[in-house]
Amino acid sequence: MNTYLQELEKRSIAIIREVKAQFKNPAVLWSTGKDSTATVWLCKKAFFGKIPFPVIHIDTSYKFPEIYQFRDKIAKEWDFNLIIAKNEKALKNGMSPKKGRLECCTQLKTEALKNLIKEQKFDALILAIRRDEHGIRAKERYYSPRDENFRWNYKDQPAELWDLYVKPSEDFSHMRVHPILHWTELDVWEYVKQENLPVNPLYFAKNGKRYRSLGCMPCTVPIPSTASTIDEIIHEIKTSKTPERAGRAQDKEKAYMMQKLRSLGYM
Amino acid sequence: MIILALDALDIHCVQKFHCKNLMQKEYGQTSLKGFNQERTIVLWASFLTGKNMEKEIPIKTQWTFQLQPEQTFLKFFQKYKAIDLPSFSYKQQNHEEERKLLKGYFEDKVTVEEYESLIWKNHEENKKDFFKELGKTPLLIGYFNLADAIGHLSFGLTEKMAIVYNELDKIAEEVKNSEDFILIVSDHGMKAVGRYGDHSRNGFYSLNRALGLNLPEITSFYNIIRGIAENEYF
Repeated sequence: MNTYLQELEKRSIAIIREVKAQFKNPAVLWSTGKDSTATVWLCKKAFFGKIPFPVIHIDTSYKFPEIYQFRDKIAKEWDFNLIIAKNEKALKNGMSPKKGRLECCTQLKTEALKNLIKEQKFDALILAIRRDEHGIRAKERYYSPRDENFRWNYKDQPAELWDLYVKPSEDFSHMRVHPILHWTELDVWEYVKQENLPVNPLYFAKNGKRYRSLGCMPCTVPIPSTASTIDEIIHEIKTSKTPERAGRAQDKEKAYMMQKLRSLGYM
Repeated sequence: MIILALDALDIHCVQKFHCKNLMQKEYGQTSLKGFNQERTIVLWASFLTGKNMEKEIPIKTQWTFQLQPEQTFLKFFQKYKAIDLPSFSYKQQNHEEERKLLKGYFEDKVTVEEYESLIWKNHEENKKDFFKELGKTPLLIGYFNLADAIGHLSFGLTEKMAIVYNELDKIAEEVKNSEDFILIVSDHGMKAVGRYGDHSRNGFYSLNRALGLNLPEITSFYNIIRGIAENEYF
């Protein structure tokens, strides 16, 4: 076993176990992408094969058919409690990317999750975000308290000194926990290879293109690539200068600014 | 007395773009200690009244909030002119159009160029109004939102922001020899979020005489302006 990956894994598993010990009702979010699949796998390893909390998949109904197939197959094989969150009301009212990508994301992802948290009273959510994905995510901590509107005050976060992950006593609706925050895209792929994890086929090149990051069908575009195996993907990442989320139409900076300007009353 | 109220003017950009006219005899940062958010209307209303107006101005009705002269330091002046000053003489229609286009940009209906063209048009209008009044009243306040409005969509684009800061520096240059006391002040600063710009927690101030202020708050200027009006500094 690669000792570097072993160190990454050890730290992530320790965080996941802390979540189970500190929170009454945690859950893990799973998009079926490589990062969240690796995270669900880490949850499995942390508890010796049986994940002791639900796995949440947010279904916008605009995802690739391969995502649904992969989700159902793995949920069966890995035998966990899968909860599918869907904002049926917004879908009935015709919400789609045509009504504005950000509005669509807010309704079909954020609101769907908000409703589920309220309904199931989750107090901690494990997410597979990584610091190297985006500048905004670089400010994240392993424990990230959120209010009921999912607002995140990055200037007021737990200190996390000496790798101690402590739940603040109050003033948060739920805690976001990021056990693979310290991993890079390359680390995840090397871990996928080492652990022989299942991978969504969309990641592998077909006709000179592959998806490097998975989202909803109308808002995700493939990148030019010939990498059709995990080894080829690892080689491609090592030599690429293109950001991982280059194929995602939803611009996180733009989304952040829109939310910030809204909170200031501009819109 | 002249007050240049420059929305979102940021000390780091003033220095980076060598805006020597904005950097007067004394200049520095202001603190937003005590304010939960960096809301434009709240901060300018607080500047005018000398007290934190955050609780008094609800976010939903903030853009139409209007102070009376007797609630502000304007009451210390027999005559004054305030061009487009938020919470006092704010050009509602112009700014409503700006916000509409800003929203349109985030909904992919409006381009940055279309939005910026309106911002520059409104800026030119304010400039015209401002210079028309120069030298005619004991107190002239000119509000310019160029750094804020352009910055929100382009603060990360150095070349574009250099043009904005150069323009504001030119305004400062044109007024610098015309009055005894010049205060240049911003409500908050700005920080880059990729190509975009978010409000930062420090504003900017600049005085053409040294008063030895140390990280003042936006409300601190009320008493200074009253002192000027009452000739304390002469």
